[in-house]
Amino acid sequence: MRDLSLEVKSGVIGLLGPNGAGKTTLMQMIATITRPTNGRILFHDQDIAKRPNELRRRLGYLPQDFGVYDNLTATEFLTYFAALKGVRSRQRVMEMLESVNLHGVANRTVGGFSGGMKQRLGIAQALINDPELVIVDEPTAGLDPEERVRFRNVLSEIGFGKLVILSTHIVSDVESIATEIAVMKNGALLTMATPEMLLRMCEGHVWRSVVPSEQFDQLRTTLKISSAVRKPDGVHIRFVGPSPEIAATPAEPELEDAFLYLMNFAEAAQPPPLP
Amino acid sequence: MMASFSRIGAIVGADFRIRFRRVSTVIVFLLLSAFAYVWIPAPSTGRTLIQINEQRAIYNSGAIGMGTASLGMIFVGLFGFYVISNAIRRDVTTRCGVIAASTPMRSGEYLLGKFLGNLAFLATFLLGFMLSSMAMVLVRGEARVEPLVFIGQYLLLTPPAIVFVSAIAVLFESIRWLSGKFGDVVYFFLWMTVIGLVVGNEASHGKISWARSFDFTGFGFMIDQMQHTLNTHSVSIGSSSFDPTKPTIIFPGLTLTREWVVPRLVSLVTPLLLLPVAALFFHRFDPVRTGQVSGKGRRNWLGKIQNLFKPLSRRFVALLEITGCGGSFLGAMWIDAVLTLTLIPFAFVALVAITIMNLVAPPAATLPVVFAVLAIIVSDVATRDGRAGTLASVRSIPRLRENYLWWKLGSTLLLSLLLCAAPLLRTISHGPVALGALFCGIVFVASMATALGVVTANPKTFIVGFLTFWYVVVNDKGLTPILDFAGFFGHSTANTIALYAVLSVIALAIAQSLYRVRLARN
Repeated sequence: MRDLSLEVKSGVIGLLGPNGAGKTTLMQMIATITRPTNGRILFHDQDIAKRPNELRRRLGYLPQDFGVYDNLTATEFLTYFAALKGVRSRQRVMEMLESVNLHGVANRTVGGFSGGMKQRLGIAQALINDPELVIVDEPTAGLDPEERVRFRNVLSEIGFGKLVILSTHIVSDVESIATEIAVMKNGALLTMATPEMLLRMCEGHVWRSVVPSEQFDQLRTTLKISSAVRKPDGVHIRFVGPSPEIAATPAEPELEDAFLYLMNFAEAAQPPPLP
Repeated sequence: MMASFSRIGAIVGADFRIRFRRVSTVIVFLLLSAFAYVWIPAPSTGRTLIQINEQRAIYNSGAIGMGTASLGMIFVGLFGFYVISNAIRRDVTTRCGVIAASTPMRSGEYLLGKFLGNLAFLATFLLGFMLSSMAMVLVRGEARVEPLVFIGQYLLLTPPAIVFVSAIAVLFESIRWLSGKFGDVVYFFLWMTVIGLVVGNEASHGKISWARSFDFTGFGFMIDQMQHTLNTHSVSIGSSSFDPTKPTIIFPGLTLTREWVVPRLVSLVTPLLLLPVAALFFHRFDPVRTGQVSGKGRRNWLGKIQNLFKPLSRRFVALLEITGCGGSFLGAMWIDAVLTLTLIPFAFVALVAITIMNLVAPPAATLPVVFAVLAIIVSDVATRDGRAGTLASVRSIPRLRENYLWWKLGSTLLLSLLLCAAPLLRTISHGPVALGALFCGIVFVASMATALGVVTANPKTFIVGFLTFWYVVVNDKGLTPILDFAGFFGHSTANTIALYAVLSVIALAIAQSLYRVRLARN
């Protein structure tokens, strides 16, 4: 991490960045897993490196590539983490299983669960202590489209009154649920803004064009293309850049465009003044 | 305080459930119980459990209790470590440990929980073993069951071993460079050193006064008590022959004499001191400290030493790479063998060291070391794909799916022959039997490493099994030709060569059959 400074309050914060941007490292530092070699992280004005338990008591954490103990049942697995978090109520365990729709398989060993079921169990353990801060790291990786939508809905529901930090490299994971988005690259924070602000940053820098198929391969290497669809009349592309470089018409920005624009033209990305 | 107890209890409970729900645990337990049956042979076979001056001790609770407790102690002390020393590693690989680390749980609570989990597992295991052994008193029917005498034998011998193994497993798992294969090897020699110390001390009538306080194995106590109560040094425990013309004797069992009270208590308590040491090294699942995140400055000293040799080993590996050999099955074997040298720069150092040793030292001094090093290097050749998650990719390559075992055997064999090239060349001048024995020994190691690796998917099985066998062979010093499997002491015969060749074939056949069954299921 370098030159990273941000302040977050309640809501769902999307931490967006390509692989290797430093999202997981930042998450692990906030979750008190990895100690920062420099700088401070404050939670309710307390330095978490000095008083980690102040944060840990109010934290729910779902790490990347979360695994399970195959031989435990869902109830046993959740009871285990509940005990580690100081929650002794069995009723709370059953409530959480119900809230993630796993109550029907509560007594089945989790080794046989699908990826989506394991992730739901993961979010249940993260929420079992009713945390103020929830950190979820790449939670939708490996899930099928239906499970991803379901998982997004779960996160959006828990975002009320809590701070949820959701890290991902998939823009669609955060565009509908994040109240603010922090974009990272190479260990640094490029920007932190609301989705609307991010869209405004790349206003006038998103272009649309239809190009012949034979030209597309060459253009793909020169343009920053955010989407391309092959149709009978050619390839319909959207791309970002300060100027179009080919015959193109301006397009309405989407979050995917804004992310691509920030990744490639971060210095040029300045939010326009509010109207 | 209640929250602490609750957290520790949760850790112990989860570990207990995870371990006892494994099929392998049940199988090992059943095998151990079956072994108890063999360990206590029927006197009509001419063999007995305890033989004193060639007299047979009758099968009462004292004799069977002590005999089986000593067997349990060996199991707990040696194999128990390898069974339980994955509790923290499991939390690292599943990443459940990272979640645990983000809770208010203290590191001390976690380590204590893991220690007690180990303790509970081993104690339960021994309890089950004790009950099945107790049943043997009824089966042999020479005396009535005296539960208190029986339990007394176990209580006198096994608790320090359980505590020691449970604590040292937590310590080794907390120290990064001891948490893997190197730690497995270190533990083996540590355990053997501890046994050697206490047994040697009792043989010299307790000359080293402090050694009794480190009698975690209980062997020192057992030997001393046997010598005092029976007034003899000629005692054999374990299935052995006796003189049926001599009268039987009654062995009442071990008793705790005053001079042993303090040493036994110290042996029980001392291992607990390892837990605070473990807490000092414990990584609390920080990916930088567990090695999941690379960072030059954070490498452990083993990694740093390996790094020193990388430039040399890379040049050597470059010499071994044969362009265009990847298409054939033999080429695939060679590529995999070269990969081992790339992954383990120590293998290159070993190759140089073996060659130099071979020039300056006699075979009896060289070969045992060569085979110990060889076993360590090849132990995870057959398991590393599964551990690295590359098994599916490997199996998608033509011919490797069905012939995975033969591919790994070929790779291990090529690597072994390369490492042992200098000893093989030297042995040519010692005659065909010596050369055959050495070659057969290499094949035996490669076969067992591959077969056990494919069957158990864990390099520990081979390491502990082979090192135990190696220890017996080295201590036998060639007195039993059938044990001189690779001609360490020049006492191998044609029968020796044939035996280990047959064992290799059987092991490979079983492993291939099991592998095929698994493939068919998938």
